Amino acid sequence: MEVAELQDKIYAFCLAAKGKKKLKEKDIIKGVSAELSLEPDEVKKAMRAMIDVGRLMYSYGGGASSVEIPSEEYLREKGLIK
Amino acid sequence: MKKYNTPLIDELEKGPWPSFVTEMKKAAKTNEMSNDALGHLEKCYSTKIGYWKHGGIVGVLGYGGGVIGRYSEIGEEFPGVAHFHTVRLNQPSGFFYTSKALREICDIWDKYGSGLTNVHGSTGDLVLLGTKTDALEAIFAEYSSRGWDLGSSGSALRTPSCCVGPGRCEWTNYDTLGLTYALTQEFQDEMHRPTFSYKFKIKSSGCACDCVAALARADMSIIGTWKGDIKIDQAEVKNYAKTMDINKEIVNMCPTQCMDYDGKELKINNKECSRCMHCITRMTKALKPSGERGATICIGSKAPIVVGSLLSWVIIPFIKVEPPYTELKDLIRKIWDWWDENAKPRERIGEVIEMKGMRSFLEAIGVKPMPQQIKEPRKDPFMFYTEDDIAAYKAKEAEEKKTGKYRF
Repeated sequence: MEVAELQDKIYAFCLAAKGKKKLKEKDIIKGVSAELSLEPDEVKKAMRAMIDVGRLMYSYGGGASSVEIPSEEYLREKGLIK
Repeated sequence: MKKYNTPLIDELEKGPWPSFVTEMKKAAKTNEMSNDALGHLEKCYSTKIGYWKHGGIVGVLGYGGGVIGRYSEIGEEFPGVAHFHTVRLNQPSGFFYTSKALREICDIWDKYGSGLTNVHGSTGDLVLLGTKTDALEAIFAEYSSRGWDLGSSGSALRTPSCCVGPGRCEWTNYDTLGLTYALTQEFQDEMHRPTFSYKFKIKSSGCACDCVAALARADMSIIGTWKGDIKIDQAEVKNYAKTMDINKEIVNMCPTQCMDYDGKELKINNKECSRCMHCITRMTKALKPSGERGATICIGSKAPIVVGSLLSWVIIPFIKVEPPYTELKDLIRKIWDWWDENAKPRERIGEVIEMKGMRSFLEAIGVKPMPQQIKEPRKDPFMFYTEDDIAAYKAKEAEEKKTGKYRF
């Protein structure tokens, strides 16, 4: 599978959980790799590339970290959109 | 700049000790954020309400930790602390700085933040207190361009921390500074990309004095120890006897009662010695460790959150701690794998071991049960029966019934 296509799947996975469950990195890696029968490492690399460019972001609450889709406010703050 | 009346927090300036209020007042003379922080603190004291909100989505791009979001609920009243985020800087091993480096850190912080620092936070990081969201990327860019990196926060490996070790201390049994640096470099990904169920702390002390309090605070405590006898210089013992009551202050305070002093000669039963360091620290010139040096690995201490506070538990009584630290790094990875498989969100490894049992933990990380792992007297946490044991017992029982001969 092409990386861009995999990243779209990861994005869709996160979107489906939005507002319902705080996803940890490992939830995404396990969930997407099981869904697409891919190696966890492949999903991890693709997901981290998304975090590096702001397509996904780390969040934090109650002492635990999660990965989620960034808000427009966050993207604007990081200069990724105007 | 608005001047706040602060009668309650002024009380904290009284007495012989240095006061953080005094330092905040100094910073408040030139910094709006510090000034508002003073007013905010006074209001917290007068109303007995903490107005801070914690957490959120602040951070620098690509990093999952290092910045802790803090917001005030009364930001309109105190605009300088409406955003008051904490930035953690990865400290050098053993907290050694040059004055030039400290000046550099403070100059950047004065430019973007409140100017207030906490050197050091209990995590070990150098903590910079109070900045705004829109300054974070610039702060990170400036610090990283000078060779600094952010520390860790969230569900990640927290910035490894250690005592001053061989840099200043004669008692250290391994190079705590070298180990901490090596672990920090090796596990950059685990520090900056939070992937665990909760936090994981590694703290290294060169001896059982445990100057970084690893035994009570770290998920993995690496405590220096030695295998040989304690060497005794009897002439120096005589000198100490002139100024101290050796029986009262040393012998009777030995936790394993392995020492004896008849007024002339000090004796130590080294087989019973637990390497607690008490006698060595009190009679430095007379007593010295000898033989092979290394560390004891303990696991699982934490402050109370999900269950009560825990102290670390010995899993490896002795391990050589030498570069490139491959054995230790492999062990850490195995520990994380087991924890990752078994932990629920916000469960520290000590809690998971309490629930799943030390036996299954040791099996998973490939460490054999040893007497030194016994946590409490008269408790054997490793007593268990496999299916083969049960089958063998049943066969023996059947044979005894059949033959009428009982074997005990």
